Amino acid sequence: MKKAIIEARDVCFRYEDAPVNAVDKVNLTVAQGEFLAILGRNGSGKSTFAKLLNALLLPSSGELTVNGIRAVSEDDCYEVRKSCGMVFQNPDNQIVTTIVEEDCAFGLENLGVEPAEIRRRVDEALHSVGMTDYAQASPSMLSGGQKQRVAVAGVLAMRPRIIVFDESTAMLDPIGRRDVFALARRLNVEEGITVVWITHFMEEAALADRLVVMDKGVIALEGAPREVFAQTDRVLALGLDVPEVMKLADALRKGGVDLPAELMTVNEMAVALCQRREALNQTVVCHSKLSSVFDDGHPAQPDESQNVIEVKKLTHVYMPGTPFEARALNEITLAVREGEFAGIIGHTGSGKSTLVTHLNGLERSEPGVVLVKGTDLGLKDTDLIAVRRTVGLVFQYPEYQLFEETVAKDVAYGPNNLGLEPNEVSSRVNWAIRQVGLDPEQVAEKSPFELSGGQKRRVAIAGVLAMKPSILILDEPAAGLDPAGRREMLSLIRSIHDSGTTVVMVSHSMDDVGRYCDRLFVLNKGEMAYSGTPAEVFIHDEKLHDIGLDVPECAKLARRLRQAGFDMPEGIYRIEDVCAAILENLRGGSGAGC
Amino acid sequence: MLKNITLGQYFPGESLIHRLDPRTKLLATIALIAIVFVVQGFSGFLLIAAFVIACAASTGIHLKFLVRGLKPLFFIIIFTFVLNLFFQTEGTELVHVGFIRITDHGLRMASFMAVRLILLVVSSQLLTLTTSPISLTDGLETLFRPLQAIHFPAHEIAMMMSIALRFIPTLMDEADKIMKAQKARGANFETGSIIARAKAMVPLLVPLFVGAFRRAEELALAMDARCYRGGAGRTRMKQLKFGRIDALAALALALLLVAVLALNAIGAF
Repeated sequence: MKKAIIEARDVCFRYEDAPVNAVDKVNLTVAQGEFLAILGRNGSGKSTFAKLLNALLLPSSGELTVNGIRAVSEDDCYEVRKSCGMVFQNPDNQIVTTIVEEDCAFGLENLGVEPAEIRRRVDEALHSVGMTDYAQASPSMLSGGQKQRVAVAGVLAMRPRIIVFDESTAMLDPIGRRDVFALARRLNVEEGITVVWITHFMEEAALADRLVVMDKGVIALEGAPREVFAQTDRVLALGLDVPEVMKLADALRKGGVDLPAELMTVNEMAVALCQRREALNQTVVCHSKLSSVFDDGHPAQPDESQNVIEVKKLTHVYMPGTPFEARALNEITLAVREGEFAGIIGHTGSGKSTLVTHLNGLERSEPGVVLVKGTDLGLKDTDLIAVRRTVGLVFQYPEYQLFEETVAKDVAYGPNNLGLEPNEVSSRVNWAIRQVGLDPEQVAEKSPFELSGGQKRRVAIAGVLAMKPSILILDEPAAGLDPAGRREMLSLIRSIHDSGTTVVMVSHSMDDVGRYCDRLFVLNKGEMAYSGTPAEVFIHDEKLHDIGLDVPECAKLARRLRQAGFDMPEGIYRIEDVCAAILENLRGGSGAGC
Repeated sequence: MLKNITLGQYFPGESLIHRLDPRTKLLATIALIAIVFVVQGFSGFLLIAAFVIACAASTGIHLKFLVRGLKPLFFIIIFTFVLNLFFQTEGTELVHVGFIRITDHGLRMASFMAVRLILLVVSSQLLTLTTSPISLTDGLETLFRPLQAIHFPAHEIAMMMSIALRFIPTLMDEADKIMKAQKARGANFETGSIIARAKAMVPLLVPLFVGAFRRAEELALAMDARCYRGGAGRTRMKQLKFGRIDALAALALALLLVAVLALNAIGAF
């Protein structure tokens, strides 16, 4: 094993007034040049541990050495921070100045480095993260991914030996995420920088050299990603997720397929399955035995009377007539049917958030028509309050809009704005709090600011539900949540849908929309790129990848297997369907052919 | 998309005046203001006006932007004019209607004061139009640095200004988002009495403040992580340097001052 660069022995940390340790007797050694991922649900202590590595916090007890410096006292904290840089979660809240290159220089200026040397290192760092062209730009004009790259450059200029990324991709879209992860990986490989990568995304953790799972302040699991993820049940119990391929492998094994242990990627799975098939001697390619998903149950063109939302040729131009003019939406046409669970998907800047603000009349644009249950939102005399009663809109990070002293008062804000009777308001408040899975008796009189992140978001959703909308639109409802929180949030939305509400969910996760939505609308640069059932959309997997959206792994695997001669129905993407199809293939009258 | 709006009134450009050291521009503006106060006759004002207009023309900024800055001060200028006009009793009487009595001296003083105010505003406009807020901050910090000896927090003030500049677009964006979110919950910010509208701002302001505090906390942590520990021992990547154009600017102002003093001496109109 290589030389250790971080050594933690029995490290404990307790926040003031906290009853228990946030980090509890952690023993961990990180080798020089290692890429270590730390997973764990919210509150597992992983961010606290990260701050200990950077001497932003000092251990309550135990020994912690970072790059040969003891990170246990105030005296050495600047030495520790010099050798261990940190990139935080929110791209906006870690950039200090209004010019990219000056932000990059900030750390070196603090260290009192000579101006000429700062200049040299800043140029080098910006070049290294590919932001040289933006040296003079204002950070507020950059995308989330670009801001994170600037943050990395700011750390890099200080020439650290270690960089800690504390959920640095959590607030980014898939393109930004891929981008920042690839940057970290490259710095790790090419410049030998040790990386500690804290994340909620399993697909990122799967690519690390080693994986540590924290729970309640202790290290619960540790090992190579495939070893850790192979303990599927244990990982799920810790509030995390495992890569889809591993779930599929589990299902296949339960179906009697003999697979090697620790399969993790689409590629490995495809190779293993091909070997299985050869072993079964079933090389004859046969099609048509399994029906395509398009044959069964796909409804014929439904009549338009079912449409609750209709958008026709909607175009929206930002700041027309200025140098900043931009076409956010271009001739968008779509219809949402009564009782449907529709998904709008696209990355940042695709226009999806702009589109949904048109669906309840917050924005109105010419040309184009938006009809909600037949009412034209573009007309001057349209009662917009009535429209907003019909169409509930939950914004991204809705917990940031809470403002009242108590949860009950906050949830009552919408119903009160509708001018309802006090009795009706209070019964709706209780109903809505219950709808989002909270207990009114426990939370109603609490301050919303005392609640946990996931609970706050539920309260914010309750605030919209209390208006009893028949159509609910949610913009990235699961953004920033940990895997367990994500699952709970999505199943909450499904239960709202099941109780009869038409739901439109905006997301950039193909996995989520694939699992829950009846129909998808894919936006790219303000245009409708694809629309249809998930199966119809996922057929375009390569083009979707090009516009920065990935199809679910099982859809990718199905395609790979089809190319390898498996008889896989077109457009399947759910684990259960893919599993069933593979089992059928491997069983299918061994060696008998068609 | 509020974040796309440029801050302050800065007009990017590459002119001589744009390229002056911000300290030069700050000191020059102060000097120009002083010169305006030295002037005793309209001929001096004419000279200064010609100087300011020539400077403005060289920057490529349209005169209307210089004049636009007068708008908020319009009433003060009118008020000063009227006050001087009515309450100067010396000199030959021009008009006498009821209790209103206007003298030639009064008219002269009133116009003099009004022109002086206009010139003061326009000269400082020239500074803010040609200097980005961030380089203004840099200039101020460097100029006030000697005062740190008497514990004047020059660095801290400059840092606060720069952070404020950095976060204004972010917070404006956030305010826009929160406003939309509350509107989606049936809020009404546009109509109603003043009290009703002020009340309607609570659901906007509380989340905005909570958000600003959250951001401040995270930013402080990020600054800590990059070894920030106040102004002591800090260096700057960009060093402000006086160049030949700065000397030229000083010379031009000196000439202007001499000319104004000369006009004063000969007692020109």
